[in-house]
Amino acid sequence: MAGVRGPIARSTCGGLLLVGLTVGLGHAWLPAAASDAQADLPAILLSRQLLAARNLEVGDTIELSGDPSGANRRRFRIAGAYEPMPDPIRVTSERLEVRLHLPDLLDLTADPDDPLAAEALSAINVKLKNPEEAGAFARELAARVPIVGVRASRGAEGDRNPFVVLGRFHLAIAVLTLTTSAVFLLALMVLLADERREAVGTLRLIGLTRGRVLLQVLLEGALIAGAGALFGVAFAALTEGAFNRYFQWRYDTALVFVQITPSIAWRSVAMALPLGMAASVLASWALVRGETLKLVRR
Amino acid sequence: MRALAFAWRSLTRRRGRTMLGILGIAAAGALMFDMLLLSRGLLVSVREMLDSVGFDVRVLASEGLPQSRVPLEHALDAALALASLPEVAAAVPFRIGEAEAVMGGDRPPSIAVFAIGSTTNRIWAIVDGRDLPEGDEQSVVVNERLAERLQAAPGDDIEIRGRCSAGPSILPPITVRIAGVASFPFESGAQLTMATRFAVLDRLCERPPGEADLIMVASRPESGPDAAVDAIRKARPDLYAFSNDEVIERFETVGFSYFRQISAALAIVTVSFGVVLITVLLTVGVNQRLGEIAALRAIGFSRRRVAGDVLWESVLLVAIGGAVAIPLGLALSMWLDAILRSLPGVPATLHFFVFEPRALWLHAALLAAVAVGAALYPMWLVARLPIATTLRREFVS
Repeated sequence: MAGVRGPIARSTCGGLLLVGLTVGLGHAWLPAAASDAQADLPAILLSRQLLAARNLEVGDTIELSGDPSGANRRRFRIAGAYEPMPDPIRVTSERLEVRLHLPDLLDLTADPDDPLAAEALSAINVKLKNPEEAGAFARELAARVPIVGVRASRGAEGDRNPFVVLGRFHLAIAVLTLTTSAVFLLALMVLLADERREAVGTLRLIGLTRGRVLLQVLLEGALIAGAGALFGVAFAALTEGAFNRYFQWRYDTALVFVQITPSIAWRSVAMALPLGMAASVLASWALVRGETLKLVRR
Repeated sequence: MRALAFAWRSLTRRRGRTMLGILGIAAAGALMFDMLLLSRGLLVSVREMLDSVGFDVRVLASEGLPQSRVPLEHALDAALALASLPEVAAAVPFRIGEAEAVMGGDRPPSIAVFAIGSTTNRIWAIVDGRDLPEGDEQSVVVNERLAERLQAAPGDDIEIRGRCSAGPSILPPITVRIAGVASFPFESGAQLTMATRFAVLDRLCERPPGEADLIMVASRPESGPDAAVDAIRKARPDLYAFSNDEVIERFETVGFSYFRQISAALAIVTVSFGVVLITVLLTVGVNQRLGEIAALRAIGFSRRRVAGDVLWESVLLVAIGGAVAIPLGLALSMWLDAILRSLPGVPATLHFFVFEPRALWLHAALLAAVAVGAALYPMWLVARLPIATTLRREFVS
């Protein structure tokens, strides 16, 4: 039976104190033959991706080794599969992972020549009663036990958080797209205004004031932009699922890539309305300010 | 009059509309051009960075990603064995660690520590002082930012403490001497960097001696990186050797797909924008000139000729807008690049938007497709125009 790669990344996970063992790629995993003693074997959980990648099933037994040569391997029973915590940082990585009970992992990986190895952990996760105090707790614990590194698990802020920077990039792209849309809208409104030159002239001739025509133009712009924005939001909401499903399939993850929140929808409408009204007024300015007889070509 | 000149006159007759069309294409084209620069920019930039350090093969203990690599044991011996291969010019073990400067009061700054084996090949360039002396296991070179932060210069001693795993080491701090100040190719904008020998990093974190993260190999020019990779795989089948080409290929598959997909999606959106905008402008223009076009047909202009006029109008609008889009796109790409380069840990020399001639050709090809695609419907309208009916409707009634 082929050996497996040693532990190459560890992390404590939740209160279960299960430790992930990332398995090296490209090494065969063969299910061991079922035996009567299968039920007595220590239980492990496999990530959904690993289960699929190695054609394994819940109830199979497998052998794991903490040594790259495959020495000192131990048998385990696959008790279940789990979906790894979606992690945007690892979205392009294959999530081939195993969760073992901590004593099993220590048995598997501890250096027999090192008496402290069986006591050593990579990390301890702490859940505070009041998460707001994470920073103060980390500072106090670091001061009391200077040999351990303590840090709050909340992500970094500002430029130190990659998702804040990516968010800024997406906003910049959105601004550019909006600018392009504004030019497009202006072109359409100019065409519309051009088509209605004579109609506006007639309205002015029958007594409508410039202010009244301007109000009409303004309302038309708002209606067109509002309808466009609502269509855009509805289109985004309808395609949201397809977009997420495609990328979830592409990266084999449960991560949500697109989420149309009410705040985003309102922001889109709030940006589109003034833009549409401004484009209408700009495009119709010549009609509103122009001489009535010229408009009706007299 | 030739079709091109005729189309030009048609456009200049409606200056406002033409300007809006050009502006729309320039805005959409600039965004599309930026997406073309983004679609391969990171790959080109990473490739340039990999090539710039003078090593063209990386040797690892596993084929995992950098964050999940297995340490390479007995790397010094392995490097010596690889260096003796006829295809290899140099093999240098390399390890990355972390330390903090011991400074009173202030929060200690985190320092990226590069430990490198004995070699004349350097991945840094000395800007002040001297390089790491051979056989000296107490000297370090630091980047300018770290020298400034520590207010230290070549010849000064500094105290550092290892940061092993998640926190500071329990081992006492050690004293090292700054031999020189250097610039490093892979460091990010705010990174504090130090390079030293393996022995210093071993003392900081008490790791097994000779353990490395990778061995960087320079192939002999007459052999090339592929031959060196083959020779290494034959000599040490337990190790994983990758040429720069293979690293880039792997990076393209797993690490770069996000930017490639976002650029593809936005390029499609901008092309669609351009097609719809020009189609609308041309169609409305054609509808307003139906009588004029029917008259031209009546005096002998062929279907092909009037359709050709519309196509040339489309080509002129898109070509002028597309030409304006290039400098506009380049200016915008600098802004977008600066945003992405502020991502934490991104090397200062890395760029996301990189110009290459291929982007220019693709830009031209996509805009040509826009010009033709946008002209199809209005061309169909003018080609099918019934002359007598149109003249009667437009002029008589």
